[in-house]
Amino acid sequence: MIRRLGEEIEKRLKGPPVAYRGVMGVFYYVDDATEAVRALRQSGHRELSVYSPVPHHDLEKAMEKGESLVRWVTFVGGVLGITGGFALCIYSVRSWPMVVGGKELVSLPPFVVIGYESMILLGALSNLLGMLALGRLPQVKSKAPYDPRFTEDRIGIWVPCTGAEVARVEAMLRGHQAEEVKSYA
Amino acid sequence: MAVPVARAGEHGSSAAHPPITQKSLNDDILRMLEKPGLGWWAILLFDITVLLIGGIALRNQIVLGLGVAGYTRPVMWAAYITNFVFWVGIAHCGTLVSAILFLFRAHFRRAVYRVAEAMTVFGVLTAGLFPLLHTGRPWFGYWLVPYATQRQLWPNFRSPLEWDVFAVTTYLTVSSIFFIVGIIPDAAAARDRARNPFLKLLYTGASFGWTGGNNQWKHYYGAYLYFAALATPLVLSVHSVVSWDFAMAQTAGWHSTIFAPYFVAGAIFSGVAMVINLLIPIRKAFKLEHIVTVDHIEKLSKLVLLTSTIVGYSYMTEFFIAWYGPSSHERDLFWWRATGHFWWAFWIMFTCNVIFPLALWFKPVRRNLTVLFVLCLFVNVGMWFERFVIIVTSLAHPFDPAVWDINYKMSWTEAAITAGAFAWFFMYFLLFVKLLPAFSIAELKETLAPPMRRKTS
Repeated sequence: MIRRLGEEIEKRLKGPPVAYRGVMGVFYYVDDATEAVRALRQSGHRELSVYSPVPHHDLEKAMEKGESLVRWVTFVGGVLGITGGFALCIYSVRSWPMVVGGKELVSLPPFVVIGYESMILLGALSNLLGMLALGRLPQVKSKAPYDPRFTEDRIGIWVPCTGAEVARVEAMLRGHQAEEVKSYA
Repeated sequence: MAVPVARAGEHGSSAAHPPITQKSLNDDILRMLEKPGLGWWAILLFDITVLLIGGIALRNQIVLGLGVAGYTRPVMWAAYITNFVFWVGIAHCGTLVSAILFLFRAHFRRAVYRVAEAMTVFGVLTAGLFPLLHTGRPWFGYWLVPYATQRQLWPNFRSPLEWDVFAVTTYLTVSSIFFIVGIIPDAAAARDRARNPFLKLLYTGASFGWTGGNNQWKHYYGAYLYFAALATPLVLSVHSVVSWDFAMAQTAGWHSTIFAPYFVAGAIFSGVAMVINLLIPIRKAFKLEHIVTVDHIEKLSKLVLLTSTIVGYSYMTEFFIAWYGPSSHERDLFWWRATGHFWWAFWIMFTCNVIFPLALWFKPVRRNLTVLFVLCLFVNVGMWFERFVIIVTSLAHPFDPAVWDINYKMSWTEAAITAGAFAWFFMYFLLFVKLLPAFSIAELKETLAPPMRRKTS
């Protein structure tokens, strides 16, 4: 029973086979991979994906993708949080007035704490959502043929291409000392 | 093929260990997730037994009412609130290590931050129990949450206790997010080599389908910086808000402006001591001495020393202000705190938190892990008593002298629930080290020099 359930899980996790079109080059050295990315982009392949166990600045620079926009999502969440926190306090004391010691109902100093904590809460939640949405996570199907070595110590460069391009890209990756080049068509 | 070795000062390779490579890091850390040994099961069994005892005590309290706790007027906050503040304090180290040290680019955090972060999440989970238990009717806990009822009854946002609800729930949410996000790349590494289909499913879920693509890394680090930037002011605010539970009241010994920084320093002090207490056995049990080096632990112990001096300074400031200030009642209370009925608790606190940590000025002490381990245990005992002293002595010595000779005594129920809380915390921790990568593989890889064919680039 448990074994059958395990097999079922295994099957579902694998999913149906996906048809990829392109070339995957596997690299060990960061500088090799960086130069390969530069050369490929110069020859017109702008839709590259690079897979690596750790982010490398050289590779990021070569990809020229700019900075993440997550911060704007976070900023909007933070602003909503602080306004929402104050609004909640002000609305609730006005809707159920409880006067203590003749003091003002809308007493801002104690509401700062609620506003501040709400700002951080919504800021962090929107930061998370921004990261997931922009990074396309959770990801069910990989955009490229994935290799478990990419979470270990190898860098993969995926070049989507078809037809006569395939041989050219293969040669280019080999020329930049790829350890392994595999084409999918 | 040239193998990337550690940069100087980070993960030095010694004669005993071959150099660390990206692959060996995966192997060493993911080995922790293999089938648990007998020792692990024995500890878990013991832990669950203690938890059950706590559970029985809790059942008694729920059925018989709060009378079984040792509350005696005027001491109506005691062991539970002490535990609450203690565990929130323990939680603070995780965010310090994962967020504040991240912003300061203190790279030694990479070897220890996952353990510290797990401690944060489990610490807040433990702390959160106590206000609920302390209410006596935990099933009405949801009354603390602001929601629209048909009578438009709202919690009082001008009360520090309601601030606490916001601070602690925000802290639990944000630290859990931080913890879960940090695990994503490592869960992918675990997924890629898991053989058991159930574990594979767990890691696939925890990895969110991570592949290490450039777009994923870009937004991951884009967001990580902001998690750190949000968690840093959060961690400073949470224990400040906890301290205001006391400082906003006009009770002698509580009503003081020093409370917020004093509590934050105390929280980090006990948290770092606890993380040292956890790291020393873990690195030994899983043979990770080359990954969590003595250097890393020494750096943590310097944080213990720093915060110990801040805490010691705060204790003395409290006494100085009591003596120098205008309130004779405040002066009397502090004199009573050190010499009255609870003098022993005060002196346990002072010795463990101020005097013993002075040994950390000496390098051989900081690098001797046995001594350091025992010292950090003392710090945790001292910090538990700090909260006890603040809460109980101030309540037991109020403005009305008629109640001065009534004193609080901890009941068996409170003791069992306190022990159960420790078991609750360690239960999560034991499961964590066996189910999730307890050290950040991806971040540790960043401490290695990246593999380059040409040395000059």
